[in-house]
Amino acid sequence: MQAATALRGRKADRGQAAGRRRLPGHLLVVPTAVWTLAFFVIPLAAITVFSFGTENLVTFNVDFGWTASNYAAFGSALYVSSLLRSLALSLGTTAACALLGFPLAFFISRQPPRAQRVLLACVIVPFWTSFLVRTYSWVNLLQTDGPVDRLAFGITGHHLQILYSPASIAIGMTYSYLPLMVLPIYVALERISPDLYAAAADLGARPWRQFRRVVFPLARPGLIAGVIIVGVPAMGEYVIPEILGGGKTLMVGNIIVGQYLDVGDYPFGSALAVSLMVILMAMLFALRRVQPAVEAR
Amino acid sequence: MLRRGAALALTVPSAAALLEACSRSSSPSSGTGSQAGSLAGTAHMENYPDWMGTHVVPAFQKLHPGSFIKQTTNSSSSISGTVQQLKTGNFDFGLADVSTTQQAVDIGLVQPPDWSKIPNIKYVGQSFRTAYPHGIPTDYGKIGIGYRPDLVGEKITSWHDVWRLAPRFSGKIVFIDLDRDCMGSALKYLGYSGNSTVPSQLTACKNALIQIKPHLQAFLGVNYGQGLQDGSTVIAMDYDYDVALNQQKQPKIEWVFPAEGMVAYLEGWIAMKSSKVLPLVESFMNFALEPKQYADFVNTTGTAYVESAATPFIGKSISGSTILRPGKAITNVEFEHYLGSATALWTQVWDEVKAA
Repeated sequence: MQAATALRGRKADRGQAAGRRRLPGHLLVVPTAVWTLAFFVIPLAAITVFSFGTENLVTFNVDFGWTASNYAAFGSALYVSSLLRSLALSLGTTAACALLGFPLAFFISRQPPRAQRVLLACVIVPFWTSFLVRTYSWVNLLQTDGPVDRLAFGITGHHLQILYSPASIAIGMTYSYLPLMVLPIYVALERISPDLYAAAADLGARPWRQFRRVVFPLARPGLIAGVIIVGVPAMGEYVIPEILGGGKTLMVGNIIVGQYLDVGDYPFGSALAVSLMVILMAMLFALRRVQPAVEAR
Repeated sequence: MLRRGAALALTVPSAAALLEACSRSSSPSSGTGSQAGSLAGTAHMENYPDWMGTHVVPAFQKLHPGSFIKQTTNSSSSISGTVQQLKTGNFDFGLADVSTTQQAVDIGLVQPPDWSKIPNIKYVGQSFRTAYPHGIPTDYGKIGIGYRPDLVGEKITSWHDVWRLAPRFSGKIVFIDLDRDCMGSALKYLGYSGNSTVPSQLTACKNALIQIKPHLQAFLGVNYGQGLQDGSTVIAMDYDYDVALNQQKQPKIEWVFPAEGMVAYLEGWIAMKSSKVLPLVESFMNFALEPKQYADFVNTTGTAYVESAATPFIGKSISGSTILRPGKAITNVEFEHYLGSATALWTQVWDEVKAA
């Protein structure tokens, strides 16, 4: 009995000690939690509350009458078409980033460690330059008689006239988001043991079959992470369309910014922002449901 | 949307946050017409970046020791953005166009000017004073046409010519990416007021812009007429100051006062009712209107100006420009007014044009 009590006592002591050891670990979460609460949860709640209000556009006084009229307006053809345009450009950008990013990440992951570090730095270095400077540089690259146009003219004899078109927006977005696709794919590929390549080869798998049966399935989580990291912000992108679209392509992000900064209609802008967020969340949930089935194949 | 603010926000990201500029360089003072005295305190001004004569603030502060003018640039210079900034009560006075001013007046933010404290208002042309009654007018910008006659091959005299020539010069025409200026010009093309709030006229305006849109290279928010220099643009809906600037680099560029007329923004400084340093604000306004000080503002910014009396002190490249000099240049000009509740309709029409 005494032994049992002593054992329980020791277990309890160990439990308390473990609790004391765990406490600092829990505390580590506090800064992030506070940050997220202050700069994500509360603003998100505020935006949601605003989206049900109405605003006097002369005085900018908001009346929280809890109306859904702002959401009803989102159903108009103007906003639906802009949303679809954003969706198409986002999907196109994500697909282009995946198609370009996967081979690049694969190539990097197959290099010796020192070369990998250099190549990864090359991928990341553009991030050290201002996003706006990088985006504006595409204006010079894509403009008539610019380097890209001259190259195309030399090959085809025709000018490209690509600047200020949806194509130039897609190019700019793909360029800007590509590193965000490369890095998670690289991380997934880098974790694949070289033994697996050797084993696949020993079992008679040719390179393409190795890629299809070994590399791609194991890299899929990285690819899915890349799709999310690229696809979500691309959907709400508004700076690149403004600069490279020549103001001729209206995206849902531009409408939201316009409502906030130009019109000052915070409730309607908030309703647009919340609607976009709900659509994105629905897509992410759908992706999450599909993901296990895809990975099981 | 914004005018000069757009250039700042897009090209200097750090300046998109609040930018405080308080020049401290020494400069010669000009005491003409201003009384030196005790005006100690700090007046906070909402202003565009660098939209102030280089020497004006230092000269005033030297004249009135203990007085400070602090300028702050908001990240947005849109009407709503500016009005909301002024509504915060953080500013004693601010730069605002006619539309912004009228909205601020409607909300009760603006202190009516005491002209006895600002006698230098006499230097400002009467047409500008009439159009800008709630403060001191400082500058204006006409929206007309800049083009390259050598490349177009014929003389352009009207908005009608722009629409007519668009298919021939498809992809080489740019319009301004600002609803008030672009739609206002399209309304002029159609023979309507540039401040129209009539739905049928706005629908016609939308159709006219959608008609020409396939031929536009872009709606530009910055560097509107830069392409005129190298010929990548042959026709541009453009601001007078921008054409004048580009003309210095490419003399083949010509400015057109469209036959149908044109819209123009008119800007000035308004004092806030909430200001605790109104005497300082009024004194600074009066000081800034002295011809020499005002000329410094014009020489710094390169804007079209509202004081003929300042002409002798203004650089020849500006005062000699028929585009920027007041006088005949403002005949056939309609200043943009506050649209009131029709602002939302304008925004919707503009979005429909952009989405088409």
